[in-house]
Amino acid sequence: MAQPDEAAPQQTPAEVAVPAGVPVGNPYLAMILAWLVPGLGHMYLRRVGRGLVFLLLAAVSIWVGCELQGNLYRPLAGQPLTLLATGGAMGMGLPYFILRYGADYAGDIVGAGYEYGTAFLLTAGLMNWLLVLDAWDISRGKKE
Amino acid sequence: MSHFFLMVLYSLVVSLFFTLLWRRERKEQIRLFLQLFLGMVGGGLLVAWLMYPFPQGPPAPLP
Repeated sequence: MAQPDEAAPQQTPAEVAVPAGVPVGNPYLAMILAWLVPGLGHMYLRRVGRGLVFLLLAAVSIWVGCELQGNLYRPLAGQPLTLLATGGAMGMGLPYFILRYGADYAGDIVGAGYEYGTAFLLTAGLMNWLLVLDAWDISRGKKE
Repeated sequence: MSHFFLMVLYSLVVSLFFTLLWRRERKEQIRLFLQLFLGMVGGGLLVAWLMYPFPQGPPAPLP
């Protein structure tokens, strides 16, 4: 009777890659985690390395955006497009609420880097929305 | 931070993000990253070069 190769390196559950087509984890929990903290959904789905890189990219984007005093969008009366932009920026999850309510961050419209900073902050939110959808696909086995 | 540095940094972040999101094979990742990164930086420089002949005009009023 064939015995399993005992010399083969043992892998921890976090390191085992689940192939595409195999559902993994709870898709709803994965989406919520992915939204709350960029990359956390991928870490939950055992894509730890990829999740850490996504977290780093989002952190860099948010940090640069704040350093440049970019606009962290919030809804403004009479300006319906700010609703859309706020939805985009809120994609960054917890950092949005920490910045807005915890740090009372608002940006500086006369700052030299205001437009650039706004682009970085909005991009961080939009990137994370894509990560939420990616976490859903991975969890449902539609993507590796 | 200069305009050029910010453009390169933005291109780097976005290119890395989409490369990891869309590709799994290392060779394909490198190819897509270079396409995105060089496309964004090169496109930005091209647009800047095309706008060079246009006068700057007066500075925008502060809000």
